[in-house]
Order: sequence, then C-alpha cells, then structure tokens
Amino acid sequence: MSRAAVSKRRERANMALFLGPACIILLGFFIAPAVVDVGIAFTDMGQNIRVTTVTLENVRRIFLSDSQLPKVLSVTTLYVVGTLALFNVGFALVMALTTTSVSQPTGALFRGIWLLPRFSPSVVYALLWVWVVDASDFGLLNQMLHAVGLAPFDMRDQAPIALIIIANGFIGTGTGMIILTSSIRAIPEHLFHAARVDGAGGFAITRFVVLPALRWPLSFITIFQALSLLTSFEYIWLITNGGPFYDTTVYALMVYKRAFQNGQYAYGAALALILIVIGIVVTLVSWRLLDLRSLLQRPRIEVQ
Amino acid sequence: MTKHIAALSASLLALGLCGQLAISTARADEITIHAWAWADRSGPMRATNLINAADLMNKEYKAEGIDRTIKVDMYNDNVDGFDTDARNLLKAFAVGKGPDVFPMAHEWLGEFASDGYVMDMEPFINQFPEYFSDVVPVLWDATKYKGDRYAIPQDTEIRMFFYNKDMLRKIGKDEAFINGLPAMVDSGQFTMDDMTALAKEVVDKGAAKYGIVHRPNSGPDYLMTFSAFGVKFINADGKLLLTKKEMKDALTWFANNVKEGVTPANLTSMTFDSIQQSFKQEQTFIYHHGVWTTAQFQLGDAMGATWPTDEAGYFHKIGWLNAPSAVKGGKPTNLSHPIVYAVNPKGEHPDIAAMLVAYATQPYFNVQHAVTSAHMAITNAETGMPQYKAQWALADAVPMLQYTSFIPNHPKFGIYNGILFQALQGVETGRLTPDSAIDFLSQELSNQLGDDVVIADSATQ
Repeated sequence: MSRAAVSKRRERANMALFLGPACIILLGFFIAPAVVDVGIAFTDMGQNIRVTTVTLENVRRIFLSDSQLPKVLSVTTLYVVGTLALFNVGFALVMALTTTSVSQPTGALFRGIWLLPRFSPSVVYALLWVWVVDASDFGLLNQMLHAVGLAPFDMRDQAPIALIIIANGFIGTGTGMIILTSSIRAIPEHLFHAARVDGAGGFAITRFVVLPALRWPLSFITIFQALSLLTSFEYIWLITNGGPFYDTTVYALMVYKRAFQNGQYAYGAALALILIVIGIVVTLVSWRLLDLRSLLQRPRIEVQ
Repeated sequence: MTKHIAALSASLLALGLCGQLAISTARADEITIHAWAWADRSGPMRATNLINAADLMNKEYKAEGIDRTIKVDMYNDNVDGFDTDARNLLKAFAVGKGPDVFPMAHEWLGEFASDGYVMDMEPFINQFPEYFSDVVPVLWDATKYKGDRYAIPQDTEIRMFFYNKDMLRKIGKDEAFINGLPAMVDSGQFTMDDMTALAKEVVDKGAAKYGIVHRPNSGPDYLMTFSAFGVKFINADGKLLLTKKEMKDALTWFANNVKEGVTPANLTSMTFDSIQQSFKQEQTFIYHHGVWTTAQFQLGDAMGATWPTDEAGYFHKIGWLNAPSAVKGGKPTNLSHPIVYAVNPKGEHPDIAAMLVAYATQPYFNVQHAVTSAHMAITNAETGMPQYKAQWALADAVPMLQYTSFIPNHPKFGIYNGILFQALQGVETGRLTPDSAIDFLSQELSNQLGDDVVIADSATQ
C-alpha cells in the first residue's frame, strides 16, 4: 500500500475516532429528539400516548386559538432581555472589571461568593427563594423589612418578573464573570503599562484597552445565555410556577405545562417546534449582528 | 368487642373460602402480581395492604394444601402526586408495561376505562358480593364510568371548612350561635355570603388577620365552593361543562372576599406551610381543607402552636362546616376524593389481581390504612372497629358523608381544574375581573379541551 493511501486511511480513522463520539451524542440527544418532536407535533397524541391521526390541528391552535400566547411571548422577551442585560452580561461584566482591578485574593473571594448560587442544587436554590419571598410574616425578606420598620412586601405577587430575573440572574452572572475575567487576564500586561505611560486613567484603560478585548467573549456569552434562558424554566417553575396567573409563564414553561402537566404531548411538541425555530432565528440574527463569522476565521498569523 | 372479633373472624373465613373458589386448580407455581402505587408517605398502606392480602391468600393456600404462592412485586412511583402518577401509568400501559393492579385517584378512571386499561369490575362484584356489600354505597359513584363500576373504593375523606370558635367568642358571639353554625349551614339558613360577612366581622374586630383561606395551588378542595353556587362540571352526556352564570357567581364570591379583606389577595403565592401555620397560630378564622389535617397538624403541638388532643377540647376550639348553600334554604355540600383500586384486564392474572383487591378491601386491612393515614372508612364495619372509634376525628366526620360530592370521572378534568385554578388566582390577585375570568375560562377551556368541553350560559339551560 502506498504511503498516500495509508495516510488517507489513518486520516479517516482519526476522523471517526475524534468526531465519532460527538456525532453519536449529537444524533442521539440533539437531532433525534428534534426529529421525534417534528413527528409528534403533527399528530393527535394525548395523555394516553396514542396516535390516531396525522393533523395540522396543533399548528392551527397555536396561531388561531391559544389566547395566552401573545402574553407569554412578551413575558419571555422581557425575561430574556432583562436577565441578560442586568445580570448574565451586564453584571457579569461589572464583576469581571471590578474583581480584576482589586488585589487577586479579594477579587477571587468576591468571584467565589458569586459562584455559590451556581454550585447549589437547583431545587434547593429555588426553595430558598420561595422561603425568602414568602408572602407571610415568616418569609426572610418580610422579617428583614419588619426589622427595619418597613411594611411587608409580597414579591411573588407584586414584582414576579423582577423576582425571576433576579433569581436566574444570580445564577447566570457566574458563567459570564468567569469567562470575562479570564479574557481580561489574557490581555498582554504591556498594553496596560503602555496606556499608563500614555497618560490613560482607569476609565480610559477600560474603554480603550479592556472592552475591545472583550468583544468576542461578550458576543459569545450573549448568544449562549440568550439561548439558554429561552429554553430553561426550572427556577421559574419552582419559584412562581409561572404565576400569579400567567405573569411569569415563559414560553418554555408553557411548553412544559401544556405537554407534561396537561398530557397534551402533540400540542406541546408543536409549541416546542416553534421554540426550535425561535432558537435558530435568534442564533442566525446574532451571528449576523455580532459578526461571529470573524471570530471563527483562521487567524491570519500562526505562531509556531 | 368479642362480637367484633367474632364477626371479623367469620368474614375472614368466608373470604378464605371464596378465595379458593377463584382459583380452580391447584398447581405448584409462584405467581407474581405486578403492583404499582404512588409512593405517598402519608398513606403507605395502599401498597402494603395488597402485599398483606397476598400473605393471607398464601396462608390459605398452604392450609388447603395447594402448592401455590402469590408474590406481589410492588413498584413505588416516587412523584409529586396522583396526577403525575396516573400519567406515568398511562405511559407504562402505552408501551405494554402496565401493572396488574394499582391504586389511583378516581377521576382518572374515565381515561383508563376508555383506553381499556382497567377491568370492568361489575361481573366480579356480582360474582362475589360478600366482599363488597358493606362498602359505603355513595363511594361506588366515584368508581363509575358510563354506568359501570371500573374500580373498588380504597379510601375517602371529607373536605370542609374548619372555623375557630375562640375567635367568635372574642367578638362576643354566644355559645348557641357558635356551636349551632354547622346545623344552620345544613338547614340552609346560613349562606356563603353569610360566611363572608361573619369572617369580615371577625377580621374587622381584630380577632383574626385572615378571614377565609384555601389551598394555594390547584387541587380538589375549592371545587365544593363552586358546587355551592350551582356550578356543574359535567353534563348528562358525560362532557365537561362550563356554566358561565354559576361560575361567575362563584368567582365573584372569591373576588368579594378579597375586596372585603376576608381573603388576602396574594393567598396563592403563600406556601401551604405558612397558610397552615396561620390557622394553627390563630391568625386565620376559616381554613378550607380536608379532615386528615386534623391529625396532620391541628391536634397537639405542631406548626408553632399547641391545641387540645382530646375530642371535647378540640371541638371547644374548632368547628367543622360543610360548604353552605349560596341561597337561603339551599342544600349544603362537601367534597370527597376517593382513591380506588383498579385491575388491568390484560394482565397475566386479572382474576388473582382482583381477588387481592377484594381481600385488601376487607375491614381488617382497610381500617389499618384508614387510621394510619387519617382517611375515612370505606366499609360500615370499620366504623365500629375499636381502632377506628379511637380516632374520634374520623368517626365524627362520618355523618358529613351524606352531603358529599365527587370530582367528575372525566379523563380531562385535571386540565379543567388547572385552568379553573388560574382563573381563581387571576380573580383573587386582581389580574382578572369575574367577567374577564369567564372570557379567559371560555377561551382556555375551548383551546385546551376542544370538543370535550361544552360552554353553556347557565346550568339550568
């Protein structure tokens, strides 16, 4: 066998070896469920899991008769944009900037504290929130308000959107903070010295040295967290259960409730299909707006 | 006492003989019955009674020289409630892994019966009436689907309004009024609006912080309040029903309770614990729930307060009310939510599974579940047994069974109730008016239930 043929065979073997496991996982856990979802979405599968007909009825219901959908979509937008802007990107950036500008142990301490919610089991974390904002005098928030002479406040009733944004944001801040911190650390030290020599102050260094270096991490965090927020609902489900009324029912939670709490599997699948479409659209639009293509281009200089 | 023991022994002997009839031939074999039960920590004997029944059958086989043993392979479904458990059962049946025998919430029978997953028990009951003739007759209504009985009652309870008599004393009511309230409700003199007015008086005079509270999530209790206003949930054709006029009356009552300061607007964002604490710590005048909560937290030291544990002491402090009628002279109502045993007709041994249920239904076994889980007896004999009599709260609730009603046996009533709870929450929190709640209910019920629901202007249409 020629050397070229051996090399080609080895290349194929390597490809199968390195890409194979990832392909199997992709097929089994990402593509197959999406295909099954598409299949179920056009049937009448109800709580007895039986399919008796293939139908477009679910699509008709979504667009013509689900009267709660507009409200759910606006709640979802508010939740995703609010959590991203205030916490997952906004506050993560503030934390990364501040904890890298103080001494290393102090910065590490604060970052460690902000990672604690991420380490907590989600159910425990959510139940703690339920206890904190309990409407009665027994809730921690109301005990604190009472101690300083303020009237009790029922956050789950009076400010439910703020509650789910804060509860999710406390968790989401950690990821962005870590990525941005490491990006700031990766900026060559001499750039800071050069800026100082040129007379730049703290603000100017942040504006002209640090932020330009964070463009790609920020773009990545924005897209990744937006998709993650669009599809995750466990904290909302545990803390407010989508209420009061429909006030905190985000789209993914509605899909879950319709499908698994009401046993309308086909209708839930059809709703989930829309979520897949929304996810793809958000990704493509972000790709375009944030110019992620440039991020993934081959570097022009290859350091050997 | 001796009489009871003699009666019990006689009935067990009779059971044994009948048990033999069910098994025609003696074979040397081990029969495994696959059972499935929701892992309800407050009622574990729903499952263990089936196992204990198998033990008794095995003893009888041995005594008769039949070389056969029955083994119960029990799967405990560790989920959050009967509804999730029922959906899991449906999934198991859909892939041919349905159990031979299982307890379930009765309102799911419609779905299971229409899917062919539960056995029509009429022939079995008629073949062996001696096992079932003592079951409290009204409970059979909860097992019926299209006129036939598809299950055997396993337990039941009474849901009611608990009221704090000490608060009425504080606002100057006399003992005749305080202790006569249940009778006034039963005779139709005291209406739902009178209850609101009384609760408002208690709150306004500072004897309580909250007037009337109910559960903070979707569930059966508050349905009896809707029934009191004449709401019908199912029509003669077996379809789910939204009767707009009566539904609006009921929702208006809930809205009015908030307006009058009787029910807190944010009740549904409180936890169950804090609602129960508020009743136990005497901040709430009327608490709406089930008889088992007497044993659960009302007696003795629990939820941050201590109440009397003896019958006289407890009833000096607390009274029990059916849901009053909405109009003067009307009938009161309350709600029971029976759990039933069902048998898989396509299982390997449906006859033996049914016989296990027959044994587990007998007073000797069922009373153990009743007293340990604070549920009501399902047979008349149990109410005379010493251990049941010792649970005075259960014994005292028996007369209330005459006013009881059940959730309709419709496969999609769970969805209906979930939507109804959202409307109730919307009205209480001020996010919906009673009128807009009716629009919401019409749209949501039509969208989610399609042809299974009929929207009518009134129940009298």
